Amino acid sequence: MNAHGSAGHFAGSDDGIAKGEVLLKVDNVSLAFGGVKAITDISFDVRKGEIRAIIGPNGAGKTSMLNVINGFYTPQQGVITFRGVERRAMKPHHAVRQGIARTFQNVALFKGMTTLENIMAGRSVHMHRNIGWQMLWHGPALNEEIEHRQKVEEIIDFLEIEHIRRTPVGKLPYGLQKRVELGRALAMEPSLLLLDEPMAGMNLEEKEDMSRFIIDVNQQRGTTIALIEHDMGVVMDLSDRVVVLDYGKKIADGPPDAVKNDQAVIDAYLGVAH
Amino acid sequence: MAQPAAALDTFPKYLLLNAERFGGRPAMRHKDYGIWQTWNWAEQLDEIRAFAIGLKQLGLGHGDRVAIVGANRPRLYWTFAAVQSLGGVPVPVYADAVAEEMAYVLDHAGVRFAVAQDQEQVDKLLTFHETIPALTNVIYDEPRGLRDYPRERLHDFADVQAKGRAALAADPAAGRAWEEGVRAGSGDDVSVMLYTSGTTGRSKGVVLTAAASVKAALDTVTFDRLSENDSVLAYLPLAWVGDHYLNFAQGYVSGFCMNCPESQQTVPQDLREIAPTFYFAPPRVFESLLTSVTIRMEDAGRFKQWIFRHFTGVARKYGEAILEKRAVPLSGRLAYALGDVLLYGPLKNVLGMSNIRVAYTAGEAIGADLFSFFRSLGINLKQLYGQTEAFLYVTAQKDGEVRADTVGPAAPNVDIRIADNGEVLFRSPGQFTGYYKEDDKTEEVLTPDGFIRTGDAGFFEADGQLKIIDRAKDVGKLADGALFAPKYIENMLKFFPNIKEAVAFGDGRDFCAAFINIDLTAVGNWAERNNIAYASYQELAGHPQVYEMIARNVDETNRRLAQEPMMAGGQIARFLILHKELDADDGELTRTQKVRRSFIADRYGELIEALYDGSAEKYVETEVTFEDGRKGRISATVRIADAAVHGRPARQRAEAAE
Amino acid sequence: MEFLHSILVKPFADMAAAPDFLIQVLWEGMVSGVLYALIALGFVLIYKSSRIFNFAQGIMVVFAALTLVGLHERGVPALLAVPLTLLVMFFLAVGIERVVLRPLVNQPDIILFMATIGITLFLIGFGETIFGGENKRMITEELGIPTGSFSFEPFGGFVLIEQKDVAAVVGAVLLVVGLLAFLNKSKMGRAIRALGDDHQAALSVGISLSTIWVLVWFIAGVIALVTGIVWGARAGVSFALEVIAYKALPVLMLGGLESVMGAIIGGLMIGILEKLFEIYWGQPLLGGNTEIWFAYMLALLVLLFRPQGLFGEKIIERV
Repeated sequence: MNAHGSAGHFAGSDDGIAKGEVLLKVDNVSLAFGGVKAITDISFDVRKGEIRAIIGPNGAGKTSMLNVINGFYTPQQGVITFRGVERRAMKPHHAVRQGIARTFQNVALFKGMTTLENIMAGRSVHMHRNIGWQMLWHGPALNEEIEHRQKVEEIIDFLEIEHIRRTPVGKLPYGLQKRVELGRALAMEPSLLLLDEPMAGMNLEEKEDMSRFIIDVNQQRGTTIALIEHDMGVVMDLSDRVVVLDYGKKIADGPPDAVKNDQAVIDAYLGVAH
Repeated sequence: MAQPAAALDTFPKYLLLNAERFGGRPAMRHKDYGIWQTWNWAEQLDEIRAFAIGLKQLGLGHGDRVAIVGANRPRLYWTFAAVQSLGGVPVPVYADAVAEEMAYVLDHAGVRFAVAQDQEQVDKLLTFHETIPALTNVIYDEPRGLRDYPRERLHDFADVQAKGRAALAADPAAGRAWEEGVRAGSGDDVSVMLYTSGTTGRSKGVVLTAAASVKAALDTVTFDRLSENDSVLAYLPLAWVGDHYLNFAQGYVSGFCMNCPESQQTVPQDLREIAPTFYFAPPRVFESLLTSVTIRMEDAGRFKQWIFRHFTGVARKYGEAILEKRAVPLSGRLAYALGDVLLYGPLKNVLGMSNIRVAYTAGEAIGADLFSFFRSLGINLKQLYGQTEAFLYVTAQKDGEVRADTVGPAAPNVDIRIADNGEVLFRSPGQFTGYYKEDDKTEEVLTPDGFIRTGDAGFFEADGQLKIIDRAKDVGKLADGALFAPKYIENMLKFFPNIKEAVAFGDGRDFCAAFINIDLTAVGNWAERNNIAYASYQELAGHPQVYEMIARNVDETNRRLAQEPMMAGGQIARFLILHKELDADDGELTRTQKVRRSFIADRYGELIEALYDGSAEKYVETEVTFEDGRKGRISATVRIADAAVHGRPARQRAEAAE
Repeated sequence: MEFLHSILVKPFADMAAAPDFLIQVLWEGMVSGVLYALIALGFVLIYKSSRIFNFAQGIMVVFAALTLVGLHERGVPALLAVPLTLLVMFFLAVGIERVVLRPLVNQPDIILFMATIGITLFLIGFGETIFGGENKRMITEELGIPTGSFSFEPFGGFVLIEQKDVAAVVGAVLLVVGLLAFLNKSKMGRAIRALGDDHQAALSVGISLSTIWVLVWFIAGVIALVTGIVWGARAGVSFALEVIAYKALPVLMLGGLESVMGAIIGGLMIGILEKLFEIYWGQPLLGGNTEIWFAYMLALLVLLFRPQGLFGEKIIERV
């Protein structure tokens, strides 16, 4: 009964979109805070099954873009189509329910809770038993809890964090916190995973581990990933397609090699005056 | 019993027997997905049978060598018995070996199959599989990340088992045929080939035959009264004789339960949960346990500190006597009983040692204080002396006759004699038949009358216990003819918690000198308490106050050496704290963390010269290998300190310094 | 000497001399303490999940009690008036979330605090307009709360315990136990705790801010109703009831703003200590009426030594 034998592992949720089709489409989105424009008229798409990178110099509007996609911000203009559904304004919890999970640049974890509890929190989207059952704390609610625990254990095994299962995450080093945060996002079994600088502040070894996890998530579970990353080397190795932002505008979009040689991108990174 | 005892001369035969006599008892546990999964002996037999028949279908035949690469996982342990059941030879390989080390072993052993734990190991195997044409099949335990690998030579462990199960279902005779094959197995067949980690040069394949291995295991199982009621945590490297002997061989012969940890990092938690009855750890593990306990106590409240101090005192006074069933005054017994409730019990529980009946340590000398500490808690910790060539046991201490500075009398049925040069020779039931494909090396260690040279120098104490002082070839003489036993000196130094590693020099020299590695945990903690900021090992190692502290340790060592007539000449006159930690990745330590003396002497030749030419400091650059295999250089100016020599006039130093 | 004796010795001698009276005092103190704890709990819940210091908690007690009594006056049977009042409190919670909190999301804490003062003023005006400002009697009997009393005679003395006080304690304990179970075991409860731990993380796992806010304000409303009934039964229903809500402030200083256990223990401590102090020190030495200020002085003392309260987590300014 060695569970590693089952080839299935944990699967991503089935979102009815075929591999290679457009999963998320951003059309002419603009976002401003007061008079300051964060994003201007940006359009791009993310296809099912790919790793899509969003890069750009500091202040290019990358994080704002993620915040628009998962409903933290409501853009003033533009339309976002996710799994064929159009919308502009959306609450973050609706985005979660639709299958968008994310991590944050500065790690947003429940610091007082353990690794296990944090990842378990990611399962809450999939918990259905009502309060009445939960208060009784057995019967269907308990069975459901066991089922979720199993999923969570698979993730713990996948991310190799068995040894910190019962450690409050506030006590963990940064690299491991990032891993736990990824674990929580995975527990949501998203169809689109947004990663905001998953490798920020990591050493080389941690970066390599994280890259491997990202690739494994993408390949094994077929999870579509959109990520922001500063480390250009990592971006070029990981991603299938790259969109480049600068001062809130899109300046390039395409496969890593094409983008790398794009003059506008080179200028942006070298800081040529506008 | 289905089999007469005389025919029980292979481990697969014991597997069949155990499935019969202990069918429902646990044979193997593994923590997976946070839960301990258990297989009883009958289930374990099923797993092994299915895998063996699957292997047979893949073409594994009698005499074929099978590499086993990975951590302590049930499937890898099953591979041993499965391969043996077909007359094949398992060859476990150190999982942390770099690709070229591994390639050498696999090529030398001529393996046809390899069973690897995961993608990491498979990747390693794939980097060189083309240079080893014989290696045609690689089987992996964990499929993660391997889905898109080319399939021709790669198999999932579960698929191989499925193949075996399908064959069993299709033809009921297949199972019987396999069992008959097992029963027909010969005790003269090679049971396992263990590659020594090699303090010097290439590793050598130690060939061990089945009947001898079983005999050796039976002897020690009887010696320590191990039974199916015992349990162990299998956490030592699979390729090391200790793991294979203590856990696999003894486990099959006695029928005890082997527990595999969830991962290397969870070993302490797993130990706590399993609380094994039989335990082995090298001295350095006990040392780090004591260090972590001490550190935790330093952070504890005053009352707890007082309890700790008071009751470790009580334990020191009465603990060992109670353990050895000697006479102890009633007041002592009462105080100890109270200490057991307040301290020893909870402490042993935290360490996972509450159920230990027999524990061993070996591999290097253990500090008397450290050794007594654990024994005084009521843990029956003993020492053994062993070698891969002996299939482990050469000597072992009997319950109640335990000393910190000796390794015990000869183990059951083992003969020992001391050669004229002080080298220890032995003849044992489990001893090897030779080094694989290296008859010349075999001849070097084998005497004409069948004794094996251990390479260690030692002597018998009056009470019949063997005392090992050093490697025979390392024992040298100072220029004035005084005995120089580097390891003896190094061990004395290493008993100080602040010193992690030491390398002594002096053969043919005027005086003895040493390199020292500080213990980053202990010294780092001290630095933290004393508000000493440091950014790296190097910076801490060079700190003047650290030098002062180590100088005190060196002085104490010299005082102790001065009291031993044989060793007094080997006092340390000069020492330095090395700017980097000695590391197996740089070849400075063996995989079992032993110092590679000659390699270090080459690598740090400049520093050794500086020790002897009187310099106060020396600038050096050193190449280092990072964990990911990249190389880099570090440079440092290493300070050299003088130490006082006791018991006789300080000499030569001034001379040497000029 | 005389003075020291009257502070350090005599009170304890009195306690020992009349243990029955001491029991009576402790009991009275505990009843008040339970109520303080309840109100503090309302504060803590809201603070934990939204970082809002809810100034309106006190007036919500009055408003809930007024609504209950007011509905009864208008001919609604008592046992129907309770669920109806709960419904009103629920709509109040929804209204507050929609009209006040949602538009102010992401505003500085002080703005939200001001907003709760606004809610207080609104509820005073609104309550007065509908139910009038005069003192009302709580519909204790109508609700089936026993009004008799027990007496027993320990140590040859005499202790009198009012049944409605017993009912108050039992009711409060049930409410607290239920609340703790809800917070620790239910999905919603865990969501409340999660939101208190890290806002961003909570949002990203699909916790809906509006739902949780409505929920905690409704829970605060339920607590307000229970407190209102119990306190109203002792002292009548009037806007003066608001004052007892301010007793929750020292409780919070003592127990910390974020600790549920802190609120409970802090409430009991203050209830009991202020009663003891009043009887054994206040009345003989200071002419009585110390209950008005004692709790605040105690809180002040605690704050001097432990700014985060006895049980609170370290206060770290959110960025």
